[in-house]
Amino acid sequence: MRDIFARRKSDDESTDRSDETRADGGVARAGREKPGVVGRTRRALDRRFGEDFVESAPFWFPAFLLMALFVYGAILWNLVISLTDYEGFGLAGPDYSNLDFEMYVRAFNDSNVINASINTFVLVIGFTLTTLVVGLLLALLVDRGIRFENTFRTIYLLPMSLSFVVTAQFWLWMYNYDNGVVNIVLGTIGLGPIDWLGNQSIVLWAVIFALTWQFSGYAMVVYLAGLRAIPDDNYEAAMVDGASTVKMYWRVIIPQLKGATISASVVLMVFALKAFDFLYALVSGYRPPAGTDILATLMVREAYQNTNWAYGSTIAIILFVMALLIIGPYLIYQFRRDNL
Amino acid sequence: MAELELDSITKVFHDGDEEIVAVDDVSLTIEDGEFLVVVGPSGCGKSTTLRMVAGLESITSGAIRLGDDVINDVKSQDRDIAMVFQSYALYPHMTVQENMSFGLEESTGLSDDEIGARVEETASTMGIGDLLERRPDELSGGQQQRVALGRSIVRDPEVFLMDEPLSNLDAKLRAQMRTELQRLQEELDVTTMYVTHDQTEAMTMGDRIAILNEGELQQISSPLECYHAPANRFVADFIGEPGMNFFDVDREGDELVSELFTYPLSDWMVDDLGDTSELVFGIRPEDVSLVDVASAEHDFEAVVEVVEPMGDENTVHLHFAGHPDSSIVASVGGLQNVSQGEELAAHIPEEAIHLFDRQTGKVLHNRRLDSEEAVDATL
Amino acid sequence: MTKPDLKDDSNDERSKGTADGGRLPRLRKRFDYHRLGLYAVLLGIVAFYLAPIEAGLVTSLKTRTGVIETLPMSPPIYGEFSTASWIAAFDTLSRGLLNSALYAVPATVISAFIGSVAAYGLTQANWKRRYKATFLALFVAGIFIPYQAVLVPVTRFWSNYAQIEGLLTPLWLLGVDRDYTDLVELMITSIAYGIPICTILFRSYYKNMNIEMIEAARLDGASLRRIYRRIVLPLSTPMFAVVLIYQFTQIWNDLLFALVLIQSTSSDAAPAVLILSGLGVSQEGMNFSLQMAGALITALPTIAVYVMFSEEFSEGLAT
Repeated sequence: MRDIFARRKSDDESTDRSDETRADGGVARAGREKPGVVGRTRRALDRRFGEDFVESAPFWFPAFLLMALFVYGAILWNLVISLTDYEGFGLAGPDYSNLDFEMYVRAFNDSNVINASINTFVLVIGFTLTTLVVGLLLALLVDRGIRFENTFRTIYLLPMSLSFVVTAQFWLWMYNYDNGVVNIVLGTIGLGPIDWLGNQSIVLWAVIFALTWQFSGYAMVVYLAGLRAIPDDNYEAAMVDGASTVKMYWRVIIPQLKGATISASVVLMVFALKAFDFLYALVSGYRPPAGTDILATLMVREAYQNTNWAYGSTIAIILFVMALLIIGPYLIYQFRRDNL
Repeated sequence: MAELELDSITKVFHDGDEEIVAVDDVSLTIEDGEFLVVVGPSGCGKSTTLRMVAGLESITSGAIRLGDDVINDVKSQDRDIAMVFQSYALYPHMTVQENMSFGLEESTGLSDDEIGARVEETASTMGIGDLLERRPDELSGGQQQRVALGRSIVRDPEVFLMDEPLSNLDAKLRAQMRTELQRLQEELDVTTMYVTHDQTEAMTMGDRIAILNEGELQQISSPLECYHAPANRFVADFIGEPGMNFFDVDREGDELVSELFTYPLSDWMVDDLGDTSELVFGIRPEDVSLVDVASAEHDFEAVVEVVEPMGDENTVHLHFAGHPDSSIVASVGGLQNVSQGEELAAHIPEEAIHLFDRQTGKVLHNRRLDSEEAVDATL
Repeated sequence: MTKPDLKDDSNDERSKGTADGGRLPRLRKRFDYHRLGLYAVLLGIVAFYLAPIEAGLVTSLKTRTGVIETLPMSPPIYGEFSTASWIAAFDTLSRGLLNSALYAVPATVISAFIGSVAAYGLTQANWKRRYKATFLALFVAGIFIPYQAVLVPVTRFWSNYAQIEGLLTPLWLLGVDRDYTDLVELMITSIAYGIPICTILFRSYYKNMNIEMIEAARLDGASLRRIYRRIVLPLSTPMFAVVLIYQFTQIWNDLLFALVLIQSTSSDAAPAVLILSGLGVSQEGMNFSLQMAGALITALPTIAVYVMFSEEFSEGLAT
């Protein structure tokens, strides 16, 4: 039956041409390797983790090793140190034979730690929220199809390129009691002067304000990227539906910025946990203005000024757990959205 | 020398705890120098099959042989296989010349002069000799396509793999490249596996076509055999545009009975059917002819619903008289005058019908071919 | 040059869609009070963002009496103009600027390169999803770790376990001060902690690369290493710009590691931010003029990089 469908090509035409070219330098196909111990381990690893696990290893392994040692190894080591009683100068080092939770008991009863935890919490939440709101407003303004958009954006983002140390110098001067810009501006409307950095009850908010100045440009950039990803017809559809501008943003646009909000918040919260540099530079020392002591500054002070190494490590672990509470859910969220 | 054999290969993907069988026990052999087209609806496993041959996808079970060697564990870079991708996959930062030399530089010990000469020779046969200094983003889609082809040809590989290489071209260019590809393949005489979802490409280009559905090989044979002698209902449905008409029928003695019509069978038909009584009745649109009145036993009264004039022929959508929900499509000559609403009769000749087992989909009877005797006579 | 133009056009399109429609209303737009208000607000915000920097700049150019007697944001008047603070600040900081450059530049380049290679390896690797996700999660988490959590071990590591002073003997023979051991430690530390962010930035770039192109190169006979060298690396130039700029700013600006790894502000190897953090503080009170000059000098390199490459910088942030 099959023969009735004439094949269009006769096979006997085929020449040995391809063999000749092979002779002048074609690839000799690699023979199959005999699986030795290395080969078998390799197969086993590939089967366990997926194809190319071994072949791609030379590329990612050095980076992984450095990170594993410096980040995760160091955290484990830090955890162990926090279980010792290590303190003071000298090369003796921690005594690893006697591990207990003494430092943690001490930390939970230390009013400095509790106080710093509260301040950390206020700083993280206050800073993140204000920065997100300011950043979102900036993004919405810049996204209105303005002229010189790039210039405006560049200026709003400029503080982000500065070091915490530089920002601290600038705001130290801005907040100066007699000659600072803030008090002089407030003076023109009959307020102040206020001792921004000396008054314990407002100093933390002064710090948050300065940090918002530095980071709101970052939030703006993230939100702008989010806004640009929303198709134009969303705006048009809302217009056609007769929504007012405010309503359109509130009901249609802002809900679509959830992803941007989440990634920006994580970054900002973690920045706030690390705000050590700023507070250190404000006073050029380990003890930040009263009322702004956070876990990050307390940890460095305990370890490097008071040489209470184990106690500093304990505070560091508390700080790390706080960071983990932020990062963990974020990673799960990213995994669910297939971004990992 | 370079016969490509797929020996019951299977690919299982894991998605969490779920197992997805993308390719299910497919066996086929592509003879040396043969042009095999693998065709099927999207998600049928044709691309996965191709990628397993290329070494870009691991093989869950089964063996792939190139010549006498099993190549399952040979890395793709050592397989001496060239592939043309749907996106062309040209290296954007390299000129055409560099794109074409890359494979030779990486896989052979040829000197720069030899490589240059080979690239130039291939480029001029491909008609891209004057584009050698350009970069991919300075080329039109058709030119990029040629470069992608040239890049694989210049390496003179054992096997060519092509993954829907024409799908990004516009209709006219596609038709042109189709013939050109065929000519090239015939000239080079390289074993070729060509994956497409386009049945025109499948019908016109391949020496044989392999039809896949849901990971399983449905049929592998010459294009005309697939068309006229499909192995099952899926193939009959997939090949041909407009598609075959199908009706569920029950066999009662020497009649096929459906709610739409009763179709009497001749004795020679009855022998093919065996005991199966639940059948699917198939007829290709071009085998249905339209006559004014039902005058023979295989004529059925029908009403014209829509006429789509294509110029050379008219595609006529009808329903059986008294059954406005039914539907049958006929292709008739472009000059035959049929108009909407017209009442006439559809003639369904007995030689042209196909019958399938309704349960398994397997063919029980294929159409008779007039050419059967004619071809036999010439051989 | 055409790219910004195109962008502006599309913005115009959108504003047309939201504010007005058609061509004539677009001409009218210039006299639109809404838009006038919008620009006024935008300019007001500009003033807010530039105020601290402007105040810093004018203050740095004043004499000590000028700082006290004039408004902080008004330019120095005649007689109170002085570049003394700049000269003094530069004197104190020049060593730090050099040190910062000495460790920040190599650290930036090396961590970017390692990140690129690692991201390429991860992109190529066809692993099971849960392993790959775990792996990537480790890198992402590595970005966000508060460095306090590794500070004590890192200090112990460099002071007790990895004493590299001996390894650097050739440097000391050349007359380099031994304080620079600390700078080398700081550089390696910066590289290690820069790897997670660099890897993730490159990974997001490579994920969008045409996979068929890499596969084509594989079938062309290229090994993974050759593919990186000949295909991926040349195509990574735009992302290298982003990562280098971002990473340079980060390393240059970081105080924490410098503070704990460098012996003191007076060390020969002290980087600029470390010196700046103690600048202008003395027995007789703060010298704001000097502090502002110092802050501006320290910030100049990053501001310059930022202004030149603001697009790449914001791309690095948004990823």
